[in-house]
Amino acid sequence: MSTAEIAVTLLGVAGIAWVNWYFFIAGAGR
Amino acid sequence: MTATATIPVSGMTCAACSARIQRTLEKTPGVATANVNLMTGSATVSYDPAVVVPSRLVETIRETGYGAEMPTPDGSAENLLGAQDESRAGETRELRRKFGVSMVVAIIAMALSMPLAELVGHGSTADPLMALMMPLTDGLRQAMPWINAVSADAWRWLLLALTLPIVGWAGRHFYTRAWAAFRHHAADMNTLIAVGTGAAFLYSFAVTLADDWFATRGIEPHVYYEAVIWIIALILLGNLLESRARGQTSGAIRRLIGLRPATARVVRNGGETEIPLAQLRPGDEAIVRPGEKVPADGTVLEGRSNVDESMLTGEPVPVAKGPGDSVVGATLNRNGAFRFRVDRTGSDSVLSRIIRLVHEAQGSKAPIQRLADRISAVFVPVVLSIAIATFVIWFDFGPEPAYLHALVAAVTVLIIACPCAMGLAVPTAVMVSTGRGAELGVLIKGGEALERSEGIDVVVFDKTGTLTEGRPAVRAVVLGGESEPGWDESRLLALAASVERLSEHPLGEAIVAAAKERGLTLVEPTEFESRTGRGVVGVVEGRRVAAGNLGLMADLGIPPGSLAPEAERLAGEGLTPVFVAVDGRLAGMVTIADSIRPTSSEAVARLERMGLATVMLTGDNRRTAESVARSIGIGRVLAEVLPDRKLDEIRRLQESGQVVAMVGDGLNDAPALAQADVGIAMGTGTDVAIEAGTVTLMRGDPIGVSTAIGLARRTMRVIRQNLFWAFIYNVIGIPIAAGALYPAFGLRLTPAMAAAAMAVSSVTVVFNSLRLRNV
Repeated sequence: MSTAEIAVTLLGVAGIAWVNWYFFIAGAGR
Repeated sequence: MTATATIPVSGMTCAACSARIQRTLEKTPGVATANVNLMTGSATVSYDPAVVVPSRLVETIRETGYGAEMPTPDGSAENLLGAQDESRAGETRELRRKFGVSMVVAIIAMALSMPLAELVGHGSTADPLMALMMPLTDGLRQAMPWINAVSADAWRWLLLALTLPIVGWAGRHFYTRAWAAFRHHAADMNTLIAVGTGAAFLYSFAVTLADDWFATRGIEPHVYYEAVIWIIALILLGNLLESRARGQTSGAIRRLIGLRPATARVVRNGGETEIPLAQLRPGDEAIVRPGEKVPADGTVLEGRSNVDESMLTGEPVPVAKGPGDSVVGATLNRNGAFRFRVDRTGSDSVLSRIIRLVHEAQGSKAPIQRLADRISAVFVPVVLSIAIATFVIWFDFGPEPAYLHALVAAVTVLIIACPCAMGLAVPTAVMVSTGRGAELGVLIKGGEALERSEGIDVVVFDKTGTLTEGRPAVRAVVLGGESEPGWDESRLLALAASVERLSEHPLGEAIVAAAKERGLTLVEPTEFESRTGRGVVGVVEGRRVAAGNLGLMADLGIPPGSLAPEAERLAGEGLTPVFVAVDGRLAGMVTIADSIRPTSSEAVARLERMGLATVMLTGDNRRTAESVARSIGIGRVLAEVLPDRKLDEIRRLQESGQVVAMVGDGLNDAPALAQADVGIAMGTGTDVAIEAGTVTLMRGDPIGVSTAIGLARRTMRVIRQNLFWAFIYNVIGIPIAAGALYPAFGLRLTPAMAAAAMAVSSVTVVFNSLRLRNV
């Protein structure tokens, strides 16, 4: 795997985590 | 103190939109409750006027990214609908304009993109649709040879110039609403469109600004401006079709409102004056000529005519009207002229009540909607996650240029996902079917009523007034027992009628009517007692008179004697005997019959064919009840049930695990109607207790019961189809958009194809619901 692919994969995982946190967890408390 | 305001809201496209506005309103200080309705495009808010004013509520809605107008001063359904119509018409006009411009620009952009794609590398376009179009470029090039001289950079800037107005004007609302939702930690269809087109646009913009930077890194400087424009154009087309179709779903209520005449001819100062309907007041005397519509509810004072009440009751045969009869506003006068006194106008009128009821029903939520709401709530974040995963997988494992395929696939996933179809699945069907019901003279109070009506196992008819006309009439007066010498039938009837004068029972009323018809003189009883389920006892001209059933006679210790066999025989013919005793001795009996409605047996047969059990509930004696049931063909009889026990009978049926519908006249059986899973109130045209049941039959015809249940069954079928298609569309569409078929078949979708599929999916749901108009 190239550095770019590893970086995109990590960013992707972080992105998915953030989307789910923002809409389901952070949004639920409001 | 709380006040209520109904605010027209525009721009809502799915359940998530209405849910978000509702949440925001509920959080506003001073707001007690808020109910935002997607289908009727309105927000009904209860608020404390000391804390918040309507203009602030309008502001609050606008801050969420949607349009809102100041509430109309008169919150009647007609005015609200008028305001909504205006707002919807404006919305449709704007959508049409935006779509028209976007479509023209999309075609131009497509034509311009082709030579550009050739310049930057013919075979490697990641968009199969564009690749398909490529041969056309040769023709274009031959027609306009100067195209060859234009540089790729110039093409990109030109395309950017075309895209900017589409993103900034035609598609602007997608971005503003997505942003408003995002700030509230919510996501809806606008989020998907905004993120999808936004990603494609920003990438293309970066390429336009710094194509050399991309080129030197071995990345072909592709732009996706035409995809952005196509997506916006096609989604606008979907919204436009949907907005127009949703306008049609409220057609039924519009037709109801359109029934009302514009003016009324009133008698003022001895002469006739034509005045606008709004100026008509209760107490006015109005004149209706042949062929004219009755302007308001009232009572005929003079003249005779036949009035066509089909628009309210569905009953096609005109009804004869004469002095003392009531007429309903908006019905059509046929052949005669009459003068009548106006009793009710405006929001009190029967038509207004129907309009209000249908309007409320159309906006109500069916329990099945909760399923759609639950899916919609998690849908968009899940799709965003899938889009990110798609990008990563294509980037890591896809063919070169991997990042381009990854971008296109991720954008396609965002665009193909359609939460709107799911949001529209239930409310459109509820709206069309309740509207259609109103046209058939069946008022169904909303989605929950529809859902419950579908599951009915057994239909219980309260005999009087539903299977029978509800107008019992005296058939015969029989002297017997120990009647005094010299008495005749008239004497017996006069005594019975005098004591029944104070009774409100239909049988008592029949006896009084018969006596009056024969011109008998009635006297005021000096004592009176009504015994529920038994009869009446009183003192008339110093004599103790009792009129009632065998139970009453038994209570008083009076044996039926020689009249018993005769009473038995008459009961077997469906007649109801009322025994009359004078001074403790049986003097005779009055037999009463309530004629069976001509359509009763057909109504029962239809229900049986639909697989429903039928039960007749009555206070009548068993012999009479069984005879009536036999002639109608009804399955089961519950006879001699006192009025207050009807509720228990319904409860008993429910306890045996059955879903029970109760059909009554809505007047004296209200508790049983309320206890039943579905209470069906059967009105008789003008005098209808339309608020009494979950379902109201405007026409005095029991066939309406099968119409209502049939409509409910079809509606639920359409709802399930809608939900199924909306769900399956996404389940199939999203993986294909993500490229699931690429490894095996090399098949991929483009963002523009995804936009078209999404538009088709929500429009399909609306059109499937519109089929209910033909029930």
